[in-house]
Amino acid sequence: MERAAWTTAVKVGGMREVEPGATGAAGGGWLGPCGAQARVEKGVRRGSVKASAAHRRAALADRLATAGIWALSILALSTVALVIGAVLWKGLGTALSPAFVFGKPQAMREGGGVWPMVVSSFHLSLLTLALVVPLGVGAAVYMSEFAGVGRLARLVRFGADSLSAVPSVVFGIFGMVVFVVYLGLGYSLLAGALTLALLNLPTVMRSAEESIKAVPRSYLEAALATGCTKWEAVKRVVLPVAVPGIATGAILTAGRIVGESAAVIYTVGLFVRRVPWSPFRPAAPMAANIWHMYTEGALVPDWFRVASGEAALLLLIVLTLNLVARTTAKAVRKRMGYRD
Amino acid sequence: MYVIRREWLVKRVLLVTAMVVVLGLALVVYFMVKESIPAFKQAGPANLFSSEWAPGEGRYGMLIFLVGTLATTAGGLILGTPLALGLALFLTQVAPRRSRALFSRGVETLAGIPSIVLGWLGFTILVPWIRELSGSSGSGILAASIVLAVMVIPTITAISRDALEAVPSTYAQASLAMGATRWQTIRRVQLPAAKHGILAAIILGMGRAIGETMAVAMVIGPASVFPTSLTSPTHTLTTKILMEMGESTGVQRSSLFAMGLVLLMLAMALIALMRRVSGGRSATPEVVE
Amino acid sequence: MSGKKAVFAALAVMVSLFLILAAGCGGNESAEGEEKQKLSGILNISGSTTVLPIAQEAAEMFMDENPGVTVNVQGGGSSVGISNVAEGVVDIGNSSRDLREEEKGLGLVGHRIALDVIVVVTHKEVPLEGLSAAQVRDIFTGRITNWKEVGGPDREIKVVIRDEASGTREMFDEKALEKEKPVAGAIECNSNGIVRQTVSSTPFSIGYISLGYLDNSVKALKYEGVEASKESAANKSYPLSRYLYMFTRGEPPGLAEAFIDFVLSDRFQEEVVAREYIPVTRI
Repeated sequence: MERAAWTTAVKVGGMREVEPGATGAAGGGWLGPCGAQARVEKGVRRGSVKASAAHRRAALADRLATAGIWALSILALSTVALVIGAVLWKGLGTALSPAFVFGKPQAMREGGGVWPMVVSSFHLSLLTLALVVPLGVGAAVYMSEFAGVGRLARLVRFGADSLSAVPSVVFGIFGMVVFVVYLGLGYSLLAGALTLALLNLPTVMRSAEESIKAVPRSYLEAALATGCTKWEAVKRVVLPVAVPGIATGAILTAGRIVGESAAVIYTVGLFVRRVPWSPFRPAAPMAANIWHMYTEGALVPDWFRVASGEAALLLLIVLTLNLVARTTAKAVRKRMGYRD
Repeated sequence: MYVIRREWLVKRVLLVTAMVVVLGLALVVYFMVKESIPAFKQAGPANLFSSEWAPGEGRYGMLIFLVGTLATTAGGLILGTPLALGLALFLTQVAPRRSRALFSRGVETLAGIPSIVLGWLGFTILVPWIRELSGSSGSGILAASIVLAVMVIPTITAISRDALEAVPSTYAQASLAMGATRWQTIRRVQLPAAKHGILAAIILGMGRAIGETMAVAMVIGPASVFPTSLTSPTHTLTTKILMEMGESTGVQRSSLFAMGLVLLMLAMALIALMRRVSGGRSATPEVVE
Repeated sequence: MSGKKAVFAALAVMVSLFLILAAGCGGNESAEGEEKQKLSGILNISGSTTVLPIAQEAAEMFMDENPGVTVNVQGGGSSVGISNVAEGVVDIGNSSRDLREEEKGLGLVGHRIALDVIVVVTHKEVPLEGLSAAQVRDIFTGRITNWKEVGGPDREIKVVIRDEASGTREMFDEKALEKEKPVAGAIECNSNGIVRQTVSSTPFSIGYISLGYLDNSVKALKYEGVEASKESAANKSYPLSRYLYMFTRGEPPGLAEAFIDFVLSDRFQEEVVAREYIPVTRI
């Protein structure tokens, strides 16, 4: 631990070429080379090499704080482990059985599966992504290449920030009023996808913007110098380079959509028994169905098994999506690094 | 000529896509207001903001749920902020390189866990556990706060971490060079320098806690009464809307929309506050790390 | 090259969107112009989550019998079902309660599809066999707060009720509590399953659930000396019961009529409804 602390101090100080032994000999290695030196100087000035009480207190506080930060972090990390472990422990057995994943749901008997719910979740995320990615990327291109810093840009930024703060249950009842009833879509995948597209638009836009910003400005300038118009330059040079970043954002968004339930319950539905292929049909994404199992599921004798299995399956899917997104991001960064 | 016109057209189309967020926000606000008008007209603001919820007797007070929302949010922040800040300090100042990757991966994973899964876990493990320890029904503010703490940790950690990393390293160098210990440097130099960013992180975490529905719904009780203890059942604005929207009509339904409007106002006020604190930086959370 | 690709992709998206739209509209049209003999088209149903399992089961069997028909069933809640059918968003609205005053002018026709029996349950260790109607009322309204007042041990009574919005609660408040308000601070659960779960895990608690949800994790109490059962409710000696409904706008049009006829048929009532509720054919 002391060594780790020392390393960080050195790193923060920006000094690489210091021998650890030298500072260790000066006493109190974790103070860092400069600290130790200053202490020695101060000690000399006061006519004594012995560390003062204030210094000892400071050193103790430093050690305690370091231990505290370690403890808090370990507590936080073990919470993560505990959460994932508990969900999998309760439901992994069910979630991995093909009869459950590919089985037909039961409304009043035991032994039901969740295949229509799995399909609903995937169908809903694909439909939502098809709506939200073009919109989000378009908005991001506008904001990063064309908007400048005017009033319009500020308005769009305000809209995005505010929309990103709206609670998902508010989106849910908004979608119910507007898409389900007012537009007459009824409970359907499309009504849910429209609701979720609005919910996810700010984050998709933000991540697309970040990806576009990460493209070196010289690319765009080079393209403009060859006589391309701005849009041609963006389309042929900037966007292709930004695509992997945008794709990463889209995969993470898919994870968020699959896990969303409050906005889905009143727009898509809670429970179906047949696989919903049409966007105009009601469906039951897994997350919403867990809520249904919690509230009305008890008519099925094994509702607890179904809900636990569904929770574990949902967690596995979301974790896999996140892993895929992160691996893509890493691979892309590496490739880009070589290219530059 | 063709090129210029296309350029103009493309710019307009892109502008339209950018305006969708503004239009979307306007629509959400418009419909929340429109649907809550009957409640304001027929029940009146005094009734709506009273502390009695009894639709059968024409009482539509939302104070109980507002208190529930504020109490669970405060609880979640009190439990979650120290952990998140500790984690942010750990990742930026203390961690050896190898553990940094592990911890950073861990907290990102936590951000991805669906709230319904956390709620299910709260219902199946946390609530029975509190029930054993306290002899109460187990659900209530305490259980909701614990679940919310878990949910705000990734948000607060990520943004405080950015804020701490944005502090110029010369500050720390200067402090260390003067003989300060690392903790003195963190406490006197880095934390004050990152103050605004950390505050923004907590505000964003607060927004997340206020709006959280599913995870709270499974552990809050529920009961339409003020909580008498940390383990007595109550309700929040979000859980009340979720559970009663399907079964209510008329003024009762409209008053649920009024609760949605209050949530919307709270969320937007927090965003305004956050933009102010962070000096106009975008408040939209990023999904890409 | 990439320009061509983009155009092609855009075309593909447009074509598929068009197909989807066409499919959707086509379906709706055929729903309106369907014939009586050979049923086909789409039937949309929403409403009470209590009725949802029965309606799902019926939809499944109905679609097996009539391959040309698609029945979409969704939840949402009784009030959502009623307002949806009144607004024409769905063809049938399920409800676990009768129409309220403000819903009576909407021109809806109700069809009783099952009788639901509510049974008072306690934690398994409560040493009582039954309660009188007055005792039940006093416990749930908070006038009696200790089990010793009704002949039990000297322990505080923990009251578990349904949420304000539930049809079960509406019926229980009306019939068992004589429209009085339940005691403040009672645990409100928003489903039968959660009430059962809460009562079974909370010592000295009391609650009420649908008969279909009764299992051996909780203890059923006699009400006025009468045991809750399908028989006692059917012969009206047990009073705590309510009907489940399907509402249509006006007299049901062809497909909806056929579906409701199916739900009310002896076969469906005996095979499915009887599993959790009391078939209306037996009353």
